Amino acid sequence: MRNLSLRRAGEKLAPYVLLAPFLFTLIIFFGYAFVRVVYFSFTNYDLFQQPQWVGLKNYVDIFRDMDFARAMKNSLTFMAVVTTAQTLFALLLALFLNQKVRGMKFFRAAYYMPSVASSVVVTLIFIWFFQRRGVLNFLISKFNEYRNVIVLFLFAAAVLQLLQVGWEKMRKRPVTLMEPAFLFLSLLVSFMLMFAGVRLGFIPTRDVAPADIIWFNTIKTWPSFLGPLSFSVPLGAIMMFNIWTTSPTFMLLYLAGLQDIPRELYEAAAMDGAERWHVFRYIIVPQLKPITFLVVTMGLIGTLQMFDQVAILGAQAPRQSIITLAYYIYTNIFPSSSSPRVGMASAAAIFLALLTFVIVAAQRKVLGSEGDGGHV
Amino acid sequence: MAGMYRLRARRWTNVAAIYGFLLLLSIVFMGPFVFAFLSSLKDNPTEWPPSLLVNQLKPSNWAAAFNLAKQGGGNGFTGGFGPHGEIYFEATYWTAQGQEPAPPEVVVARRVQGGAALALRVEHYAADYTEVRDVHQVDQEPHEGGLLTTYGFTLVNTSDLHFDTVPMDLTVPMRQQFVSGTLTPNRIERLGRAQSWDNVSSGLFPYVLANYARVFRENYSVSTGKKLFGLWIRNSFFLAATRVLTTLIFASMAGYVLARLKFWGKGAIFGLLLFSMMVPQQVTFISNYLVLRDGIFGLSRLFGVPTLLNTYGGLIISGLVGASSVFIMKQFFERLPASLEESARIDGASTYTVFFRIMLPLAKPPLGALTILTFQGVWNEFFWPLVVITSPQDKYPLTLGLLTLQRTYGAASFDWGPILAGTFISALPVLILFVVFQQYFVEGISFSGNKE
Repeated sequence: MRNLSLRRAGEKLAPYVLLAPFLFTLIIFFGYAFVRVVYFSFTNYDLFQQPQWVGLKNYVDIFRDMDFARAMKNSLTFMAVVTTAQTLFALLLALFLNQKVRGMKFFRAAYYMPSVASSVVVTLIFIWFFQRRGVLNFLISKFNEYRNVIVLFLFAAAVLQLLQVGWEKMRKRPVTLMEPAFLFLSLLVSFMLMFAGVRLGFIPTRDVAPADIIWFNTIKTWPSFLGPLSFSVPLGAIMMFNIWTTSPTFMLLYLAGLQDIPRELYEAAAMDGAERWHVFRYIIVPQLKPITFLVVTMGLIGTLQMFDQVAILGAQAPRQSIITLAYYIYTNIFPSSSSPRVGMASAAAIFLALLTFVIVAAQRKVLGSEGDGGHV
Repeated sequence: MAGMYRLRARRWTNVAAIYGFLLLLSIVFMGPFVFAFLSSLKDNPTEWPPSLLVNQLKPSNWAAAFNLAKQGGGNGFTGGFGPHGEIYFEATYWTAQGQEPAPPEVVVARRVQGGAALALRVEHYAADYTEVRDVHQVDQEPHEGGLLTTYGFTLVNTSDLHFDTVPMDLTVPMRQQFVSGTLTPNRIERLGRAQSWDNVSSGLFPYVLANYARVFRENYSVSTGKKLFGLWIRNSFFLAATRVLTTLIFASMAGYVLARLKFWGKGAIFGLLLFSMMVPQQVTFISNYLVLRDGIFGLSRLFGVPTLLNTYGGLIISGLVGASSVFIMKQFFERLPASLEESARIDGASTYTVFFRIMLPLAKPPLGALTILTFQGVWNEFFWPLVVITSPQDKYPLTLGLLTLQRTYGAASFDWGPILAGTFISALPVLILFVVFQQYFVEGISFSGNKE
């Protein structure tokens, strides 16, 4: 009898026993941590002396801190630009890669490659790529040198394309302006013409000095017409390479979504004689809504936390031009010279958490969550 | 008939267009990686203009590196200059009409790659025991309005010692141009007058992977004097293996409970889990840092450890199991049919029996995915180790090690060779995992959210 009740008690406890390790980490390293950071944000704690209650002072202080304002601007710009660009880019890539040709698996894997390496690996390669005498500046130099040729190439290709399409139209055959087969031929022929032209000296290349763009150690901002809304060049560089590494990840999500769209929808659209644009606008976009929600949410959360790239760049770029909220928090806890300002860092951290919630919630409102769409 | 033909031709050009575009995108996404890898083999990865031709990948240089080491009495693959070994070397120069070609001045240099710290560790220099013998003219022929003259000479090891590196410099008079040598020189300096080789007896592998060898050879711990890079790799593997193990066990336990059992507080726990996935790590790390500093409320003192900072214990305990891993396992267990469990329950099996005997064996597929994802996550982790592990350098995981490499070689002017080499070594395990277990990565991204 006692044995049985003991067993029953054991059964009652079983869920908690199995959950124990997870509960331990969740409560100590998340729940307790979160509450404590909220508390710290109202104190003047400096890691060493007992914290003293200072009320809202830290929250007032961070908004008076120029560094915080810069961090805020950089983080928000980074978030807006990167999330938008990577979502669009991922969608376009997925639309294009959603084809049935041999070897597609290989290409998908290849595109995904930049996303599996660590942020340190990717950032180091990217710093090398953006050196003053680096590959990017070389490519820009080459572009400047061949600018005339490139313009001429595009012009010739367009003319060839129009000729081909016009010829087909005259013979009353159904063709579209961007007929892929013709486009391929136009580009190929145009390329061969340019190649021959440059080789034989008919088309002059420009004699320009090598591009000498300093990507990191600069406080310049871009684009200039945006005034105070423009972002610093180093931040722009980080954005470029961030878009490059994260788009493929989201592209895979979109691809999975595209393959889940029922074939009947396309068939029905084809029966109604819908145009490509309409299929995209009224079938693909609505059907992909849950994925878009997921992609945007993940993008927002990820970009608001951006830290690694900034920390690795470190002193190679001026602090003001790359500082983000996450980096602001970190450097206030572990400052290089002054004493730690845990109170302000905590206030900034809470602010970052709130900002994340608000932005994700706003996004949910705008995009209209599809229920189970966003399990983040 | 013609229509058929046209249709087929059109389809083929369509396919060609698709492949063309796919290749273009491959260049965009893979290009920087591939080019960075090629550059990691070069003597100077920031040469201008950047070139796709890498001396280290020329078969003629491979053969030369192999033969030179073999002649020197070392192994052709791994190199070395053995006792009384003899290395025969040739170099060809061009002189304009009217200039008398002069034989090069051959010096086995007393230099060590990797700076002063490393030089202290070298006991014997090849320079002190190597004789240059018999510098002679091998061949001469007219070429492009001048003369091509080839000189040959022999380096002889006069001692009973074995040397790993034999750096060599050749110097010629002004305007005498270096054309080619048995092995392509690593650098040409002083307006073309001096050609220098880092190691003429390197052997095939150290020649091709010179920068990679440097990463392992040149980084010593300040405190213990051990070679660091190998240690860092070991540390990362250890941390990844441990964290994978704890994650697999604890995530499946928690996932099962949250998915299939009813108990008090379930809703609150799950809510907290979801909430924790939205809060940035930079919020909670402030308290977590202090928790580890104080040894989890002083508990660690019971085991004689005053603080968990700078310990793997700290990293492991704070990362026992992640919320997203629990989430993945919960999703999996929810999909299993209830009947599996019910029959066992009727037979009187306890919760533990049901979990360990019935549920866990079924969870192989998600556990596989979780293994890969956790390994990748820990291997790539940067922020939290940066906070917890500050010294000594011996304890760094590879990500922090790379940061150290960047500081070491980037201090004065960027010596990108070893930095890029270290980068690729550290990327290798995850790349291999990716190639082998691709589908797990793809399944995992929808859960793991952003990569950390």
